Amino acid sequence: MNATASRAGMAHAIGIDGIGQISIIAHDLPRATAFYRDVLGLPLLFTAGNMAFFDCGGVRLMLGPASAPELDHPSSILYFRVPDVHAAHEHLVNRGVKIEAPPRLIARIETYDLWMVGFRDSEGNIMQLMSEVPRSSQPSSAA
Amino acid sequence: MNSQESTALARIGQIAINAHDVDRATAFYRDVLGLRHLFRAGQLSFFDCGGVRLMLDKPEKPEFDHPSSILYFQVGDIRAARERLKAAGAKFEDEPHVIAEMPGYNLWMTFFRDSEGNLLALMSEVARPS
Repeated sequence: MNATASRAGMAHAIGIDGIGQISIIAHDLPRATAFYRDVLGLPLLFTAGNMAFFDCGGVRLMLGPASAPELDHPSSILYFRVPDVHAAHEHLVNRGVKIEAPPRLIARIETYDLWMVGFRDSEGNIMQLMSEVPRSSQPSSAA
Repeated sequence: MNSQESTALARIGQIAINAHDVDRATAFYRDVLGLRHLFRAGQLSFFDCGGVRLMLDKPEKPEFDHPSSILYFQVGDIRAARERLKAAGAKFEDEPHVIAEMPGYNLWMTFFRDSEGNLLALMSEVARPS
């Protein structure tokens, strides 16, 4: 079997459908739960012991303590899609969220501009809001 | 669009994963995990995973140089997926096991490492006859 055939066969056989869950370490669960629920506005699915589970468009976010010292590190940067990056930025600012830098144009893709704004969650993790803005409807500059 | 709609975090568009060797990591995510490689832009390598983009990236600053969050990849048959991944060279930490009994299904998981040492997991929701 050549490498290409092997690759195609492998992908089919493993059959990863998507990402079901992402873990985020929280040092203060009530604080983190309040942030993800009340500031980010994500639906709280349930809590189980010292863990809280949120839904974000079909992907579950699991907030909880590190189960081993090795795992006690910041989260991967998650890029949350929003329809209007400037309005969402203002929403976070009004709630006292630490913003890394004002919304900026990250990349000009063929048919749209990719805007992002970085912020910190209650646990100090860097996260991003992202918005794909079609060329025909540019956002007004909020700067 | 009202204020709530315009600020809603609808879904996750992208996840950054640290890779110290982007070529090595690209080979792992493409050839071992079997994810669809979208494109490469310098030290960035992008994959699609069920509509979520994974961005492999060399950490720019010491502050960013830490392992990835655990990403839990959904599969239909966790035992078969584990065997395939193991045969392809992924290092597993445990055997597939039931991690939670949820209403209507059992949640199975098994943990492994990517080429960069990040801890990842396979997960599978197996319906439980009522």
